[in-house]
Amino acid sequence: MARKQAEPEKTDNRVSTGIAGLDEIMNQGFVPQRIYLVRGGPGTGKSTLGLHFLTAGAGEGEKVLFITLGEPEAQVRKNAQRMGFDLKGVSFLDLTPTKELFTESGSYDIFSPAEVERGPITQKIKGEVERLKPARVFLDSATQLRYLSTDAFQFRKQMLALARYLTEEGATVIFCSEGSTDAPDDDLQFLCDGVINLDFGSDGRKISVIKFRGSDFRSGAQSMRLSNRGAEVFPRLVPEAYTREYIAEPIASGVPELDELLHGGLERGTVTIIGGPTGVGKTTLGLQFMKEAAGRGERSVVYTFEEGRQTMLKRCMGINIPVRDMIERKTLSIVQVEPLHYTPDEFANLVRQEVEEKNSRIIMIDSTSGYGLSLGSREMVNHIRALTQYLKNMGITTILISEVETITGDFQATEVGASHLADNIVFLRYLEVTGEMRRVIGVLKKRTSSFEKTLREFEITRYGLKVGEPLTGLRGILSGGITLGNISGDHLE
Amino acid sequence: MKTVILSVGSNRANLDLLSQQLVKEGYETLNAASLEELDKSIQEKKDIALALIDLSGFDQHIWEHCETLRKVKIPFIVISPQRSPLIQKDSMEHGASGLMVKPLGIKELLEYVHTLLGE
Repeated sequence: MARKQAEPEKTDNRVSTGIAGLDEIMNQGFVPQRIYLVRGGPGTGKSTLGLHFLTAGAGEGEKVLFITLGEPEAQVRKNAQRMGFDLKGVSFLDLTPTKELFTESGSYDIFSPAEVERGPITQKIKGEVERLKPARVFLDSATQLRYLSTDAFQFRKQMLALARYLTEEGATVIFCSEGSTDAPDDDLQFLCDGVINLDFGSDGRKISVIKFRGSDFRSGAQSMRLSNRGAEVFPRLVPEAYTREYIAEPIASGVPELDELLHGGLERGTVTIIGGPTGVGKTTLGLQFMKEAAGRGERSVVYTFEEGRQTMLKRCMGINIPVRDMIERKTLSIVQVEPLHYTPDEFANLVRQEVEEKNSRIIMIDSTSGYGLSLGSREMVNHIRALTQYLKNMGITTILISEVETITGDFQATEVGASHLADNIVFLRYLEVTGEMRRVIGVLKKRTSSFEKTLREFEITRYGLKVGEPLTGLRGILSGGITLGNISGDHLE
Repeated sequence: MKTVILSVGSNRANLDLLSQQLVKEGYETLNAASLEELDKSIQEKKDIALALIDLSGFDQHIWEHCETLRKVKIPFIVISPQRSPLIQKDSMEHGASGLMVKPLGIKELLEYVHTLLGE
């Protein structure tokens, strides 16, 4: 099957930021020989971003220079090592104060620092740049240089001159700034060609590009994670940017009666909501399609937000779904998503990796309410809409498990606010027959093909799923109180 | 022969910085980090053209030494850590040729020195 993925417009001659997600936001990286400002409070990841930028260059054999005015080189190296950065090829110019400055003989107050230190610091930067001829320079931070200027005008003039000097020497440059209300950096924002904001708030870490001269970029706050692997950026999913050719064929469940009910199965590139009350068999139904897909050698992934992975494994083994074999053969992956561990954008990135790198063909999210709660998303519907649209564009069969709160009573196919996401809605309901609890399955909606309008009995046995013949004598399906009417033609015994 | 300027102050880093700037400007410098060193300098070196007195770290006795400078006809500039009417008054009363407040501008200081030395 021909596969085609829409990629951002190719932009030549870009300088990678060293962070794949950030490159994606910035239309494949920095425009070379320009000045960029990375601003954010303490601990937001400015230096980490700088390390990615420099090591990416060093890895390509470029000469790169880390100018530090705040954190001593030894400390930067230690932190970098902890995050697994290879600093081989990264040159340092340490302009931090030495410990001797703390003693009386080192401190002075006769002249302002601007008078005393600007000259030597400028000379040291100039000397190192002339010696090294770096392709990339990271200056941490420009806030420190502010103290070496007598006034705002002088600072702007000096920074402009420094920027011009570095870029004319051939470097792509990142300046860091703390950019607080106490130390505003509007002047730096104006003089730099690009501005990247880092933030750490109640919604987690965010990165946003707010200015990028001469280039398109993706605006808005994007998720970012800082870990012992450095920084990762998870751009907000833009479904329109991704597409590939696929045949919109139905995929069968392997249970003939169920496939009859669905007139062939669930089509590729569609979103199906399986709705029903707790314990009725929604997840098992979804897994049945995966079992059949595994037989064709296709890979599926279940993201479980509520049920533990082990519980799911055990349960599946008890109903003849060989999940362990499927996992071993890499035709199934069960991913337990810990509450509040991922942002919606990070989660979308995980799914993208499965689709784009591991060629998964069925994705199941169990469940939509668990997704909303675990990802802490205030815009759950918007995020899941983007994700499902992406999956549709990529020809994935998407299954969303939706638990309705009521076991009996008025008919509710899915939880509130989820139905519009679906191309197909399959519902499972409990039914009481002569004092015994039974289950039925029906199809409420199927956008891409016709479907059977009647319900069928649905059973979960140790041999697997069993779906019965059409039940024609049921009444009160939509009112919620399903009863047997004229039982002629139905097969409930 | 170079003009000699005496810098007085309790902070060695300040004295070194002053010296650097004055030497760069073509003067010979002498440093005194205590009142004792100041007395010694006055006694030993008779050709001091100007003294720069940084008040920081000294007590009221500094004014007695300023009086000594006045007696031996060495003009001096008082350098104060802050703008204070009291220090301004004391400086004038004890014969200072001028008063400057820290942090000094290097250019302003050198212009002041040139003016006082009649250059």
